[in-house]
Amino acid sequence: MKQTLPEALLAAARSPTAGLRFLDRHEQATWLPYREVAARALAVGARLVAAGVAPGERVALVFSTSPEFIDAFFGCQFAGAVPVPLYPPVRLGRLEEYHAQTARLLAVSGAVLVLAESRVRRILGQAVAAAAPRLGCLTLGELPASEGGEPLAVVASDLALVQFSSGTTVDPKPVALSQRAVMAQVAALDSFWPQSSGIEQSGVTWLPLYHDMGLIGCVCAAVTHPGTLTLIGPELFVARPALWLRALSKYRATISVAPNFAYGLCTAKVRDEELAGVDLSAWRVALNGAEAVAPSVLRAFCERFGSWGFRREALTPVYGLSEAALAVTFSRLSEPFTARSFERSRLGEGIAREEAAGRELVSVGRPLPGFALRIANAQGNPLPEGRVGDVLVQGPSLMDGYLGQPEATAAAFHDGWLDTGDRGFVFEGELFLTGRRKDVLILRGRNHAPEEVEHAVQDVAGVRAGCAVAVSYLPEGASGEHLVLFVERARPIGPAGEARFDEAGITEACERAVLRAANLVVDELHVVAPGTLPRTSSGKLRRGETLRRHLAGELLPPVPVTAMRLAGAMLRSRLALRRARRTARKSGGSHE
Amino acid sequence: MGAGVDAVKVVLSEQEILAGVAEVARQHLDYTGAIEPGMRLIEDLRLDSLRLLTLAVEVENRFRVRLDPEEEAAIETVGDLVRTVAGKLALKSERSEEDLDP
Repeated sequence: MKQTLPEALLAAARSPTAGLRFLDRHEQATWLPYREVAARALAVGARLVAAGVAPGERVALVFSTSPEFIDAFFGCQFAGAVPVPLYPPVRLGRLEEYHAQTARLLAVSGAVLVLAESRVRRILGQAVAAAAPRLGCLTLGELPASEGGEPLAVVASDLALVQFSSGTTVDPKPVALSQRAVMAQVAALDSFWPQSSGIEQSGVTWLPLYHDMGLIGCVCAAVTHPGTLTLIGPELFVARPALWLRALSKYRATISVAPNFAYGLCTAKVRDEELAGVDLSAWRVALNGAEAVAPSVLRAFCERFGSWGFRREALTPVYGLSEAALAVTFSRLSEPFTARSFERSRLGEGIAREEAAGRELVSVGRPLPGFALRIANAQGNPLPEGRVGDVLVQGPSLMDGYLGQPEATAAAFHDGWLDTGDRGFVFEGELFLTGRRKDVLILRGRNHAPEEVEHAVQDVAGVRAGCAVAVSYLPEGASGEHLVLFVERARPIGPAGEARFDEAGITEACERAVLRAANLVVDELHVVAPGTLPRTSSGKLRRGETLRRHLAGELLPPVPVTAMRLAGAMLRSRLALRRARRTARKSGGSHE
Repeated sequence: MGAGVDAVKVVLSEQEILAGVAEVARQHLDYTGAIEPGMRLIEDLRLDSLRLLTLAVEVENRFRVRLDPEEEAAIETVGDLVRTVAGKLALKSERSEEDLDP
């Protein structure tokens, strides 16, 4: 087994046939054999050293999916530096949030240099000025020239990369992954692909390269195998999902991974005329991860694309998290996905019992070789099969920790087990997820901090300040998680107050505020009475409990004891008394 | 695919570009309402990040232009988008046959 990414790329460079292929919006390909990928990266590595980047220092990368990203990423590897891939700016969205977020990510990662593509560099000024990395912000072309030279020695315990987990806006957590962890993850994935002499494995991806599924699961896995990978920019996929399917067909790719929403987007948007000549039969492994898997979406995808050769058994739901460098469990490759139904009320009590008419859940499979699962109760004690609890994992690709955040790191591990923050149970050896304990919104494969949404509505007229809760969950039968926002109505001030804060007005204003600040569509918005949202004894809002009560129909306003209420109660009791007397008189009268 | 206008050599009027943007919104964003230059993309057209991205890519495809992040930062309304595209097309026609599309 190769020990490090630089070693893996140098080995791949000897492959006569494999490489990376970049598709543009016209589906024109730029082909880079690994020999060339390695030569370009070695040159960039030498220039990074000449620029003053020392081994172990972090270099932030802001690139779209392009050969330049690969040059920068593997250039860092050869310079012994640690790449920190960041989001490129959003399209047509508001930039203030992007600047603020990027500045925060730069500061938290301790990046000494920002490498960016030239189109993006100009707008990074604010973020770079705020974070003030020692070597500033450069394009690849601006790196000082160098004679080249040998790559710096990198060992398995060195960091391979830093990626951000959930909550990038409010409390960014830089996940530090060692070379050992990344290579162990890639080896685990590689052991899973069907090893048959007749099939040459190759992949297609449109996933962003600033996160593990695209970067580790696709690029690092392809380089290490080595196999050919075709890359499409995420924005091209979102605008034209057919490009993904067309690329899979054209290059006879065998493996591709995408979150649940992507399968739904294809079913909804791809038109027959875009699929002329498409044959999806070579696609053996269609991985589905990063967000809750909806059985209805998988069935609709099979139905829609079966006549284009899509194999039902290719669909493979998986589970993982950034802190584990990507995947932890895989479902069986040779079979269609497994969905089972469980009795709702028993699930609520933490017990998984099958019932045909129950809640349908999709299995995310068994631990990858070398990984282990534990379902634990609130005290951390292991629970038997069929009992719902916290999902803990162990394995060879876990993070070293959150960079520079020892408390957060300590909180993430219990006795060597990584606490995923997810809840679920094991049934007949397979993992089923039921929800989350951690406060994170997962929408279309991307994690968002609830605060992003909650802060957006704090200035909306009629909303009680600081009294908003954002959660997301997968409703039964829905095609993806719903964003649900609860806001408490402000207490009316004066006689006109009630009229001023009408519910429809608050709903509309909140929806706009969330769109504007977070660029997210709210699926459900509930305006509730002041004091309805549950809090901890220290006054913090309890998001999970809010959702639980809402789904159970128990999210009710408090019963206030006021003078009015007392007067009302007295009046009611007086009326009841009078009614009782009248009834007594009447019944008495009948005897007369 | 063929949604792009073949070799835009003439400079389109802002009215024509507006009609093109409306067509993109109808075809790719399932937007059925009227589109006015004063409408804000996020608050009035109610576009989330996914839809904004789709709009940007499809407008680029249709008019064969490439928007720069810097220019995009200033786009808030439909009218801003139309004027930015018009400016790009004017620049492109000045450079005559030179293809700016990477």
